[in-house]
Amino acid sequence: MASTFPFAAIVGQDEMTLAIQVVAIDPAVGGVLVLGDRGTGKSTAVRALADLLPPIQVVKGCPYKCDPAAPAQACAICQDTPVAAGAKPRKRATETRPVRVVDLPLGSTEDRIVGALDLEKALSQGVKEFAPGLLAQAHRGFLYIDEVNLLEDHLVDLLIDVAASGENLVEREGLSVRHPARFVLVGSGNPEEGELRPQLLDRFGLSVQVKTPQDIDLRVAVIKRRDAFDRDPEGYKAQWQAENDRLQKRIVKARKSLDAVVVDDEMLTLCARLCQALGTDGLRAELTLMRAMRALAALQGHKKVKRDHLKAIAPMALSHRLRRNPLDDTDSSQRVKRCLDDLLAA
Amino acid sequence: MADTMQWLDTWNDAMTSLQLLQIDPSGFGGIVVRAPYGPVRAQWLQQLGTMGLSITKLPGHLDRERLLGGIDLSATLQQGQLRWQAGLLAQADGGVVCIPMAERFPDALTAPLVQTLDTRSLPDGDHHRTAFGVVALDESDAEEATLNPALRERLGLWIDLHDIAPADIVGQAWEPVAPLDLRLSEAACEAMRQALPRVSVSDSQLSALCAAALALGITSLRVPTLALRVACAHAVLNGRVEVADEDMAFAARRVLAPRALQGPETTAHAETEPNEAPDSDTESNADERDNTHHDNGDEAPPPPVPEASSNDLTDAATPPEPTPEEILVAAALASLPNDVLDRLLTRSARSAASRTGRSGQFRTGAQRGRPLPPRPGSVGGHARLHVLATLRAAAPKQRLRSKPPSGGVAIRSEDFHVRRYQQSSASCVLLALDASGSAALQRLAEAKGAVELLLQQSYARRDSVCIVSFKGAKAELLLPMTRSLVRAKRAMTGLPGGGGTPLASGLKLAYEQAMLLQRQGITPLLVILSDGRANVTLDGLGGRTQALADAQSWCDQWRASGHQSLWIDTSVQPDPQVQTLAYAMGGRYMPMPQAHAHRMAAAMDHLRQQNRDHV
Repeated sequence: MASTFPFAAIVGQDEMTLAIQVVAIDPAVGGVLVLGDRGTGKSTAVRALADLLPPIQVVKGCPYKCDPAAPAQACAICQDTPVAAGAKPRKRATETRPVRVVDLPLGSTEDRIVGALDLEKALSQGVKEFAPGLLAQAHRGFLYIDEVNLLEDHLVDLLIDVAASGENLVEREGLSVRHPARFVLVGSGNPEEGELRPQLLDRFGLSVQVKTPQDIDLRVAVIKRRDAFDRDPEGYKAQWQAENDRLQKRIVKARKSLDAVVVDDEMLTLCARLCQALGTDGLRAELTLMRAMRALAALQGHKKVKRDHLKAIAPMALSHRLRRNPLDDTDSSQRVKRCLDDLLAA
Repeated sequence: MADTMQWLDTWNDAMTSLQLLQIDPSGFGGIVVRAPYGPVRAQWLQQLGTMGLSITKLPGHLDRERLLGGIDLSATLQQGQLRWQAGLLAQADGGVVCIPMAERFPDALTAPLVQTLDTRSLPDGDHHRTAFGVVALDESDAEEATLNPALRERLGLWIDLHDIAPADIVGQAWEPVAPLDLRLSEAACEAMRQALPRVSVSDSQLSALCAAALALGITSLRVPTLALRVACAHAVLNGRVEVADEDMAFAARRVLAPRALQGPETTAHAETEPNEAPDSDTESNADERDNTHHDNGDEAPPPPVPEASSNDLTDAATPPEPTPEEILVAAALASLPNDVLDRLLTRSARSAASRTGRSGQFRTGAQRGRPLPPRPGSVGGHARLHVLATLRAAAPKQRLRSKPPSGGVAIRSEDFHVRRYQQSSASCVLLALDASGSAALQRLAEAKGAVELLLQQSYARRDSVCIVSFKGAKAELLLPMTRSLVRAKRAMTGLPGGGGTPLASGLKLAYEQAMLLQRQGITPLLVILSDGRANVTLDGLGGRTQALADAQSWCDQWRASGHQSLWIDTSVQPDPQVQTLAYAMGGRYMPMPQAHAHRMAAAMDHLRQQNRDHV
């Protein structure tokens, strides 16, 4: 495996790291979009994400990493296996595998993403079999698209569909395959280079704007750490292992306590009023807001969602859902903040 | 200034960078060499060849399988069993990857290459580790699209050999000179590699580096990181265990300076902003140049460019006690040609213009898009095998052919079917905005509104916009091709109105942009918003008759290009003369006395739709 920069060693960029942790706690929040210039540590943070996640249990040998605890959502292979193996409904063998953050590079072809005919089998044995693509690899993990705003249109369509249904349906080259593909979408890009389609924008739960720190000391700190990592990746990672483990424990703990976190009616009303005031379409915004607040409360060890949580989450969850006014230049997260302040003051 | 000797400095640094590459091939990403094809570049490449590094060339027609590894189709078919071949990137481990014509390197390959550079392991399969440096040979002219910015940013050293005369390097005879013996011996190189991780850098040097990068307008944190790696390698090369100022100066010259987007002081920067009415071009420019020079001299005395080495830098720095940051900025500036700030201004526009290279991806070689039925054909280049169709074609002939010993399928090359895709061509609306005094300010505002509406609609279609404006004595490229609403808005809000109507210049610039777009495989559509009252000639002089004649000739030129156009006449009383011009362009004419943003946007959209059907 490639060695990645330890997540705990990332300096600054608090908003981005917070958003990533929130999504790691509750994947139902629905992904993160990170917008900013080159060289702000976007990809570093996302690729480091895998460190934070505890390994998952999967059905042994399943190419789609099916969850043994959720047989209803299993892939066709796993559903067929017990019948073929015998009448005894025995417990399926499981194995632990790390959660993957799968990179989807810009130039990918549809074959690579969706999956295609297995060339190896087709050529050597003349068998028609499906070779899973990136979507299958990303199942129960993360799918990271760098420069998502420059992604080809037909790929965007494809992703929108799969991200919505949690299932990849392949009907091509004489193949007819259906397999689960539930992943968290993580995108990054520079808005100066192109706009993102609203439909895809909507699929991201949270969005954060990153800027390079202008403070010299902070920049020096970033470069020092990066340099130390570059000189000795393994050693540096080992040095931060304890810190990373602590973070991971926090996330595991937060996941467990997630269901216990209460969002009372007053908070829900506040969310609804905020969304109404900002004119965000649909209920998706409110749902995301609620889930993200809950995850944040769980991360901080609170039993109840408070106003501070709303303040921290609202700009991330709502800023990319605002209807755009071409003649208004104000930063949309500023608009969310202002609106929230008005509401809280009232 | 020691301008005459600047090339020597550049060449020395270019040679040094080869040694750095030998010491640490993958540490600082690699080298971007901007140079035209010619003896200078050949000489450099020849030197590269003598460095004892394994060099893997990546031609642009490479396919993904070859780059990253995949099935060796011919061997597999021959032997009836699966044969894998390692990709070029895996082979390049520990060495250098060389990309000739890097500015034409397809995006589809750049993306996995960048990913491999980032993670130091292959993106597919078992994530095989591989670390290499990239030498990107960029031959592009200033005007054309340059190297993919994502790749460019990750390569530490940028060397521009444009200003080196062949005679300086290779002598008068234009014959290749025997390469210098730059190669470090294996033992020395190994010792340096051992020493590299232990090179120490002081905190003040680090903060100076960061500050210098910021002062030059480089916000990316990747750049100072790369500069640091370069400085460390340079220190090792010179047998030091601590990074000295000289090493930092080298990094500043070759890593920071070429990426500078602004001068060190914004005041100096503002001064060189092009004047509103550049009457006497040459004179004022020369003045400006002088001014900036004095400014530079005041704020951070640029050390006289050293004759042979950069040793003098440290000497020059001692008397006035400048901060380390200033030394670095000065070192960076000294390496740039004298008209640095003038160039910087134009370059920021240029680098923005060179969006991620669409170049090299013409519609004919479409690899993506909606699949079309497969067709018989040979595999190779961009054509990808359609396996099922191939197998299907082979199936009926199995009995006739002798079975391969392993019992596989007997496939002959005539069975090959290749994939085909239909890729709709992108189009770009090219707007020529008349910002002269006669086109009333009100109209201009409406036009801006129309463009914004248009851009909003083009989200989904992934079409782009490019804006050219003309007023006063000349036309200017207001916004290079973009899809970004943010940038378009910013460009348009800054547009003042007033002055004469240099219609011909506007048309000329629009035509040039159109040709540029066409070369990138994008269909241009011209929309002119003007009242057509041309009164400035191509040379920037007054005179209605000549101005009109000039405009007429560029209209004809456009017609010859065969691209569509729409002329929105913004004058209060529609003018038959404008209509004549519009028809001379082979385009449509649309009088719009009460310019209305929505109507304008609708008209442009309509034109685009038609164009799409047409294509």
